[in-house]
Amino acid sequence: MNPYLAGIGLGLVLLAAFVLVGRGLGATGAFNAVIAWAVSTVAPEHARNNEFIAGYLGDEGTSPLKSWLLFEVAGLFAGAMFSGLLAGRVRVTTEKGPRVSVRVRLAMAFAGGVLMAFGAALARGCTSGQALTGGALLNLGSWAFMLMVFAGAYAVAYFFRWQWR
Amino acid sequence: MAGRLARLTLHQTLALAAVLLGAAALFASPYPGSRVTLDAKALALVIGTEADHVEAPELAAWIIQGRADYRLIDLRSEAEFATYHIPTAQNIPVNVLTDAGLGRQEKLVLYSEGGIHSAQAWMLLRAQGYASVYMLKGGLDEWTDQVVFPVVADNPTAAERTRDERRRSISAFFGGQPRSASAVAAGAAAMPGMAAPATPALPKVVAPPTPAGGSKPAAKKRKEGC
Amino acid sequence: MAMMAPFFKYGMFGDEASLVLAFLIGIGFGFFLERAGFGSARKLVSQFYLNDLAVFKVMFTAIVTAMLGVTYLGWIGWLDLSLVYLVPTHLAPQVVGGLILGVGFVIGGYCPGTSVAATATGRLDGLIYVLGIFAGMFAFAELYPLLKGFYLSGDGVGLTIPGTFGLPYGVVVFAVVLMAVGGFYGAGLLEKKFAAPGE
Repeated sequence: MNPYLAGIGLGLVLLAAFVLVGRGLGATGAFNAVIAWAVSTVAPEHARNNEFIAGYLGDEGTSPLKSWLLFEVAGLFAGAMFSGLLAGRVRVTTEKGPRVSVRVRLAMAFAGGVLMAFGAALARGCTSGQALTGGALLNLGSWAFMLMVFAGAYAVAYFFRWQWR
Repeated sequence: MAGRLARLTLHQTLALAAVLLGAAALFASPYPGSRVTLDAKALALVIGTEADHVEAPELAAWIIQGRADYRLIDLRSEAEFATYHIPTAQNIPVNVLTDAGLGRQEKLVLYSEGGIHSAQAWMLLRAQGYASVYMLKGGLDEWTDQVVFPVVADNPTAAERTRDERRRSISAFFGGQPRSASAVAAGAAAMPGMAAPATPALPKVVAPPTPAGGSKPAAKKRKEGC
Repeated sequence: MAMMAPFFKYGMFGDEASLVLAFLIGIGFGFFLERAGFGSARKLVSQFYLNDLAVFKVMFTAIVTAMLGVTYLGWIGWLDLSLVYLVPTHLAPQVVGGLILGVGFVIGGYCPGTSVAATATGRLDGLIYVLGIFAGMFAFAELYPLLKGFYLSGDGVGLTIPGTFGLPYGVVVFAVVLMAVGGFYGAGLLEKKFAAPGE
């Protein structure tokens, strides 16, 4: 789809979130909710003592899985699958360049995820929550974050081009 | 001109639309700021019916029942709140009330020392669109007089006995004690023209025992974010 | 005009309905992400090799669309913008976090949202990326006592650019629109210059 039209669609979804629920989109929080739930199920004491995790547990009565972002990400999964099916873009594969093995690529993907988690945790969000949402609301921290994401990515892109070429 | 517009590509059309909308937004001020619009007549009506009042014994009953469908707000300073406050109350000094992030549809019960600040706060909140705001009639003064240190009759009739029993148990719940009617009357007679006799010092706040199955009035908020 | 939105903050529906809405909104989100091709790491990293700047185009079109939307709806008084959640600003961790995120983006090929979209369309690297996020988040939580000071540094208040720099909101909005449209034009030029062989 034309990127500008896709962007308008995305923007309208974001606007709908603002108008209906008074918050924007996000993704990182869903991961935090699952981790909080998992840790509190396996080791409740530890979960309560860990300040970061405890923040996602909130009231003792409500399960951390009843998280707005978790439901949103579940929808993300469904919506992406639907669009992929429509376009015939669903297939089990590993995205990579021709000169790199699947194993190496998957290792890089894992490493990227770990780094991303740290970055998103520090920044209180990722490209969906901070860049898109905060961007639209002219949030100061979000714009600074966005600039840094592009800066960091462009700075190291050269050194990882072997993954894709 | 129409011909030129028709020959624009999709991208050019989008770009033009964006720039026009952006230019038109140059004078926008989307944040509501602190100006409000009041419907004076409607508010006057509400004030007249006193539908927005909550009596002290009523509030006491709600607390004892462990009701969690409302928020009790103490409008006084932090120091006054620390000295004594109605159990289950939350301290939001009146001057930071509008920044407190209260939900527009939440049921709020306000109280202050007597009633002036709670009345003013009531007006502020109603003007901002809060739909469900109530005031404790008579404020902390009435609370002290009617709930914590209620007056009980010296020689009660049958009807008065039931009433006094209830007052005694309520007062005990909140750590207070009843005053005898004659003592109050004697005090008033001995000091004509003066205010009512000094009530005993208010007890240290003890959170009332949460009744079985009662829920906390203000749930610990989960981290919001992305 | 009477303030009515955000509907949830005006009590028009409860928590349960809000979660259902979250799912529906998520569907829209995931749909357009995949429509744009962002379920593919190759498409995403092309942004950083300058041959396909769809990431920039989609992201900033979305930002401009939503930004104009809230500006107008707030201006006519229908949307109470002060009730829309603004992520608190903690400048130092957000700057550092952004850099780390950028590096992670290039190494892993995804960001959290797109990694879920990729997993949904069968990408194994997307799935492994998701696992990486879980591992990293858990590690962060465990290391939190060490990171807490840095994490909490800064204001912790929701700040807007117009507010912080004392600029009229509308002026910033217009500036962002101009910057975006200019950027789109520049993106087109860059793409032509750095087109990958065979495009």
